[in-house]
Amino acid sequence: MKKKDLRFYLRIYFKILAQDLKSKMSYRADFIISTIGMIFTNIAGFVSFWIIFRNFPSINGWSYYEMLFLYGFSLIALTPVQCLFDNNWNLRIAVYSGDFIKYCFRPVNLFFYYQSEVFDIKGLGQLAFGIGTLAYSWHHLGLGFDILMLLKLIVFLISASVVMVALQNAAAATCFWIQNSFYVLDLVTRFKDYAKYPITIFSPVFRFIFTFIMPIAFIAYYPSLVILRPDNIEILSLFSPVIAVVFFWISYKIWMHGALRYNGTGS
Amino acid sequence: MNLKKYATLTKAGIIESLQFRLGTFVMIVGNLLYLIVVYYLWKAIYASAGTDVVNGMTFTDTLIYLVLATALFNFMEMYTVWYIGRDIQSGKIVLDLLKPMDYRSYIFWSYSGEFVTNFVYTFLPTFIIVAVVTKGAISFGSNLVFFVISVVIGISINYSIDFIVATICLYTESIWGINIMKQVIVLLLSGATVPLAFFPEPFKTITFYLPFQSIYNAPLSILLNAHQDLLSVARVIGTQLIWCIVLTVISKLFWKASLRQITVNGG
Repeated sequence: MKKKDLRFYLRIYFKILAQDLKSKMSYRADFIISTIGMIFTNIAGFVSFWIIFRNFPSINGWSYYEMLFLYGFSLIALTPVQCLFDNNWNLRIAVYSGDFIKYCFRPVNLFFYYQSEVFDIKGLGQLAFGIGTLAYSWHHLGLGFDILMLLKLIVFLISASVVMVALQNAAAATCFWIQNSFYVLDLVTRFKDYAKYPITIFSPVFRFIFTFIMPIAFIAYYPSLVILRPDNIEILSLFSPVIAVVFFWISYKIWMHGALRYNGTGS
Repeated sequence: MNLKKYATLTKAGIIESLQFRLGTFVMIVGNLLYLIVVYYLWKAIYASAGTDVVNGMTFTDTLIYLVLATALFNFMEMYTVWYIGRDIQSGKIVLDLLKPMDYRSYIFWSYSGEFVTNFVYTFLPTFIIVAVVTKGAISFGSNLVFFVISVVIGISINYSIDFIVATICLYTESIWGINIMKQVIVLLLSGATVPLAFFPEPFKTITFYLPFQSIYNAPLSILLNAHQDLLSVARVIGTQLIWCIVLTVISKLFWKASLRQITVNGG
């Protein structure tokens, strides 16, 4: 058998992706409305943010633009989970109805094949919004710009995204064991909304929880520190790429463990 | 009037939702975690403000307002749009339309059982926790009675809006996008994300001319301002009633006019 290298997987990925986009385009009205809906969500998020800051000049020593930076950062970091791993939402239904068994017979990595089936274009609007917010706050904070900073930004954005992907994988995988896993996934998704706040507002107990158990602090706070407050970086910030990889590995193992013990429904 | 058919649907709904005990458990945990996040976030915001009262609201007021708004949301959200949307896509709607009961009431009453369980599982515990944590900031008097009346009207308004939005789905066949737009608008303009008192003018005035504030802001303002005179309470509930009637009529007429539009793809 031919060894399946990265090129092979990339080629397959784009093939599956093209099919998905074609099928989505056949529901053009739905696609346009969904995109507008996504833009609405981002605007509303921004408006509520703006209203709070009109009444309060800063939160816990974080200025308006710094908070805006965290907000933009989290929006960008949450794009991959929205675009590339959206099929996790359907996992519960696929497992329940028995459709999931079809993925078990493909000669490619199960996890890869399942996730590649759906690409959610709506997320790209969020990406654009996030980049705009980040650039705007970056400019107002007078952070300066060079290649090194850009590299740092990219590395830490990727590690932040990977953390969220890991969280969602683990949450989605619960459907292999429990019936109503929608609530677990919904809970985790709701938590990503709190990622944009600095972790320092919490008491030590919850700081610990949001760092190690429900690691939402790695979605925006820790990685942003590297850019925002380079003189005062916490050690956890520098380790966030490593932590991201560890979390992802754990979530992958949980997902695959559940998938491999799947017996189908017999239909 | 035959109330028995409604009571039967409510009972069936209660039994159905009791089936999913894990879902309820996760919902309670999620709710608690949410309370914690909101508590610390607004504590930090108020600590940075320097004053105790912002826009006529103290920290405790804001906390009660936001937490109960979310509790009300969890308890009122009926996922009507999803339910009807799925009914349309699957073709099941044909069966429901044939039932010897008005479709609009059928959907409402088959969900009503979940009102009961959600009230006991999420709203009541949240209410008690908030009352204890804020050490008697909620006064227990006639305002509680008005609060309940106001919530009931709020449920009706919310349902009418949901039903109108679901009817739009008959035309667009897009569920996610329409629903997210509705949710974003309702949550923002009803004061569930940021209390309406914080809105800058002229937005604040505008929101009071819209139906959305009647869903969450109206009952909560009655609950929090315990020493309001009867006239202003009557004005709040009166506004709610007007919206309730207007929206009920619109949703019924719109549904009647749209029913001819249904295209059922098999079944």
